[in-house]
Amino acid sequence: MIQTNAFDYINVLDRAADAAWQRNEAISNNIANVDTPGYKRQDVAFESVLQQALGNNRYESMDDKVANVNLGRLRGRAYVDYANYSYRLDGNNVDIENENVMLAENQLKYQGLISSINQEFTNLQTVMK
Amino acid sequence: MSMFSAFDVTASGLTAQRLRMDVISENVANANTTRTEDGTPYRRKIVTFQQKNPQQTFSQVLHNVSSSYSGSGVKVSQIFEDTTTEMNMVYDPSHPDADENGYVTYPNVNIVQEMTDLIDASRSYEANSTAFGASKSMALKGLEIGQ
Repeated sequence: MIQTNAFDYINVLDRAADAAWQRNEAISNNIANVDTPGYKRQDVAFESVLQQALGNNRYESMDDKVANVNLGRLRGRAYVDYANYSYRLDGNNVDIENENVMLAENQLKYQGLISSINQEFTNLQTVMK
Repeated sequence: MSMFSAFDVTASGLTAQRLRMDVISENVANANTTRTEDGTPYRRKIVTFQQKNPQQTFSQVLHNVSSSYSGSGVKVSQIFEDTTTEMNMVYDPSHPDADENGYVTYPNVNIVQEMTDLIDASRSYEANSTAFGASKSMALKGLEIGQ
């Protein structure tokens, strides 16, 4: 990559969009397994990873924090959710309403992230004109 | 992680729920069948679901902790006959399939239960269909980057 800080935010937004796509897959899998006995819902956490990456940073301003974040470690963390263990008799803890809400929420988030990436590119284009 | 695996996951859910609906329809259609091919009355059929490629070995689990998400949907593990529920015995000596005491063995299909199962399957099918729409609109939005 060219030595520039112009793409710092785009890189982080890109990782966030990747995680949102992964989370969409996890939620889809939960919905597909809504009638599977013994299935435990799975999810992908990204916000906590990002918060940790930015929080452990020694830099003060957000620009510097984002510029020096370790992109290699900035990935969604998949985990199995054992909460609501006894929600259903068949040992499955998928709540279909909840999953649908999270699906819609995640979809909007992804669209917002893509819009932000586009906005960053538009800004760069404006400067270059 | 392939780009279209989210679509495959929801497609597996749609297929599984569709098959469940087919089997429920078969149960309802055969609710009064007293003689099948082998001469015995029809028995209610049940579909069981299983997670596709669940994490099995320790190394797989360990690998999945450090790597990205890996789920691949649902599959139908088997369709088995319900041998636990009692068959319905109806006294009707004039029936050709009546036994020596005049009782006819009707299938152990409970229409009310089948109908609730059918609604359940249909709602799950809709949920999968919604998930498919969400994945698709997300993928389309992703194509707008840089435009």
